[in-house]
Amino acid sequence: MPFLSLPVFTKMTSETHGARRSTEPLDLRDVIESIPALVLCALADGSAEFANRAWQEYSGRPLQELTGGGWQTTIHPDDIAKFFHESTVALVSGKSTETEARLRRADGQYHWFSIRKTLAVSRSRNSEPSLRTLIACEDIEERKQEESARRYSEERHRLVVETASDAVISLDESGAILLANPATTRVFGYDPAELIGKPLTILMPEFLRKLHEAGFKRYLATRERHINWQGTELTGLRKNGQEFPVEISFGELSKDGHRVFTGFIRDISERKQAEEIRKQAQKAIQTAQAELARVSRLTTMGELAASIAHEVNQPLTAVNNNSSACLRLLANQSLQPDVLRRALEEIVADGTRASAIIARIRAFIKKAPVEKSRLDVNEVIGEVLAMMGHGFEENGISLQSDLAQALPPVLGDRVQVQQVLLNLIMNGIEAITAVTDQPRSLWVESRIDESGDILVAVRDSGTGLGLEADRVFTPFFTTKANGMGMGLAISRSLIESHGGRLWGTPNHPRGAVFSFTLPVDGEGPS
Amino acid sequence: MTRASVVFVVDDDPSVRSSLKFLLSSVGLQVESFDSAEAFLQRKPPDAPSCLVLDVRLHGLSGLDFQRELAARNIRIPIVFVTGHGDIPMSVRAMKAGAIEFLTKPYRDQDLLDAVRIALERDRARREQERDLTDLQQRFNALTPREQEVISMVVSGMLNKQIAAELGTAENTVKVHRSRAMEKMNAQSFADLVRMIEKLKGPAEKAS
Repeated sequence: MPFLSLPVFTKMTSETHGARRSTEPLDLRDVIESIPALVLCALADGSAEFANRAWQEYSGRPLQELTGGGWQTTIHPDDIAKFFHESTVALVSGKSTETEARLRRADGQYHWFSIRKTLAVSRSRNSEPSLRTLIACEDIEERKQEESARRYSEERHRLVVETASDAVISLDESGAILLANPATTRVFGYDPAELIGKPLTILMPEFLRKLHEAGFKRYLATRERHINWQGTELTGLRKNGQEFPVEISFGELSKDGHRVFTGFIRDISERKQAEEIRKQAQKAIQTAQAELARVSRLTTMGELAASIAHEVNQPLTAVNNNSSACLRLLANQSLQPDVLRRALEEIVADGTRASAIIARIRAFIKKAPVEKSRLDVNEVIGEVLAMMGHGFEENGISLQSDLAQALPPVLGDRVQVQQVLLNLIMNGIEAITAVTDQPRSLWVESRIDESGDILVAVRDSGTGLGLEADRVFTPFFTTKANGMGMGLAISRSLIESHGGRLWGTPNHPRGAVFSFTLPVDGEGPS
Repeated sequence: MTRASVVFVVDDDPSVRSSLKFLLSSVGLQVESFDSAEAFLQRKPPDAPSCLVLDVRLHGLSGLDFQRELAARNIRIPIVFVTGHGDIPMSVRAMKAGAIEFLTKPYRDQDLLDAVRIALERDRARREQERDLTDLQQRFNALTPREQEVISMVVSGMLNKQIAAELGTAENTVKVHRSRAMEKMNAQSFADLVRMIEKLKGPAEKAS
């Protein structure tokens, strides 16, 4: 503090000491008295020769109590050693020194003071030069507190940066890294020290570097922000060359005309991964739901077939009962003509009822909502084979497919065509399973037939059709122990509703071939 | 087969019902038909060998529930199930609960007739057994208390002398009681008497 270089407080002095006249020569002591700082003059032995008014007022003690050793009691006991050590150093080196110490105020509180000591040598003509120490103290309590508050705040911020789980990196205007926190190591794999002075682009994959440099340059020139500074998702590059998703937020600070940019870089690999997993799960759910809808349509067909069986079996049972009874009575020669007539009438009625039920079923199947779209038959075959899953392996059947490439699309209901194909393949598997002493094979083929339609054939090495080749399409005809006898009948009506045909022929040397055709979309009279 | 035996048909399909009645009567069976389980339950249980030909799928009480209901009412009538569309668990349940047969429509007529014949035979045998037991019980009840006491002791293996000592009477008196009881019970031999008493004890022991 420049109080000893003494700006001249002429006016102030004259006011303070009104008795004097301003024209009188300036007394240095008056000046010292008027200074707002605490000033004391100590002799070489540490005793005070003089303490100014400010000191007296601050300490609440009159001059008499301060002169001699008394003044030292105003120094905080913890600071005395430092206080005098510094004084000694000052004495020896002959320089003015500055230190800080707490001085006690009149009310007993201690304030921090900046203490400046200057060695003054005065020479009388006849005696040894005498040494005095001029001690000037300035109250810095307020500044100290501000400083401590600032330090606390800085410390807090430093702690935040040091312990943050995100990488915190500061850049200068050239894009060089000024600072990197410890988390940078975890995120990028670099030691913070390695990064100081390196360009930020070291942490980006190649494709981002040019973009970053151009963007950074443009920002410095225009100050226009082109990207979101809070939470932009970009790609980072680790020291080991691995790229990973990051979320970056950054801010700018100007200091002494220099701009510093600080970025918070968060590794969001895990979050991305979780999002990806969630996306996949959602996709899987959607697929499963679609699958479920499809399977339920297939099941509905199965349940329909079951209830059809019940419905139709009632009149069939009645027909059987009535005709058996007639035969028995006939054998006993006890069949009365009117009894026979009534039985025959009932038989006819039940026969009519059965065919009416079948007609209703046909109508129902035709009425079932049909969603026709362009289908790649090979794709449908692929789907059905996939649905069959391990059905072939489990039954020890070798599956062979021979699909013509680049077939034109057909117009059809995917589910219905799947149903037909599934039905033919299931029939094939059952027929093959009955054969135990021969190689078991099933072939699925697709091609364009002579009339330009798409032809799909399911060929098996099973038991074959024998003489029943035509009857298999009759509703409720079955060669299977647990068969409903509806599969081929329904399949045929489905294919016919698509404008195609379905038929069966013997396979050579063994088994059966079931083939169906579907007209190519966009061709033919329609 | 007893002439008086009756086959009850319960099926809610009128043409199945009437054709079944026709088929069963064509082999000389007496048939009564009902369109529901509830309708059958209205009827007084018959006093002749009988069986039920029952459709599984009925309006109202289903065939399987009806089977349980009959068991709960202690109506022991053999059942032949017929169904338009049966599955294995259904048939297992029916057979476990004592059904004679579980036929899937359309069945072979001979299978149905065979099942009905077996059912009626089983019911006839059961009724005969029950009637024998009733007769036996009546004969036993007709004995005097002392006669009942004496033959119970005889059957348990005691000698006449021991019984006389036990009852505090003469051995000759015991002999008289014994021969009279044998006569009233219509027992041909001592072994025959033992069988009769065992038979009488049978249901009583089971009940206790």
